[in-house]
Amino acid sequence: MVNKMRESTIMKIHYGTALGAVALVAVHILMRLTQSFAESLEYTNVIANYQFLPYAGMLEIILILLSIHGFNGLRVILLELKQGPRYEKAVSYGCVAAMMGLIAYGSRTIIMVNMGML
Amino acid sequence: MKPQDENKEGIGGMINPRRYGIERVAYLLMRLSGLGLLAYFIGHIYETSSILKGQVGWNEFLDLTQTNEGHALLAIVIAMCVFHTVNGIRVMLGHGGVGVGKPSRPDYPYDPASQNMKHKIGIYSAIVLAAIAMMYGLAVMYGE
Repeated sequence: MVNKMRESTIMKIHYGTALGAVALVAVHILMRLTQSFAESLEYTNVIANYQFLPYAGMLEIILILLSIHGFNGLRVILLELKQGPRYEKAVSYGCVAAMMGLIAYGSRTIIMVNMGML
Repeated sequence: MKPQDENKEGIGGMINPRRYGIERVAYLLMRLSGLGLLAYFIGHIYETSSILKGQVGWNEFLDLTQTNEGHALLAIVIAMCVFHTVNGIRVMLGHGGVGVGKPSRPDYPYDPASQNMKHKIGIYSAIVLAAIAMMYGLAVMYGE
């Protein structure tokens, strides 16, 4: 499926995820500045952030957007270096697998802390 | 010297910033900052997962990042993030046809209309804003 999608469609997704991530990461960083930087990273504060459902949802969306954008960017760089049907397929599927792995790993943290499974 | 197929220079050609002016430098910085940010993002996801080890695990990992080296690394990440964002918006606008000039007959000396002053200013602005953001980030991290 990844190889059948048009590059123009993939670039639209790339730009869309970039714009979405910029807006949400700005909110994520501003949350660090609501108190002193060190204080905002204290254990109780971070747990409170994760257990506030809208914020946890925003972290999940950032995770998905940046994973898609990041691994598609890596795919583009690798395809600029070398071309060939087998290579391109391996890079595309490899990047999708890595993206899904990272989303799964990050989601595990968000869900477990949000649900108090510590 | 070994002949190169189809004039391909591989990674060496890709990362050579000496040709084609500031646009080539922006191209290189865009890729370097992208790879750097992806590496940081993966590290950040791993780092934040230490919260599952409880307060002791979180504080242990946090202590590793709350050092001068950790702050310097984060300052570089801030700079990469700002450059990648501002230059990315410039690239997106260029792909959308904004600020690339009107199509015209290619005449000598073949100056590409798309590599104009608007885009050069965009690239220099991205570099300057990245430097300012890095300084601001350091001020916040050191609590000033």
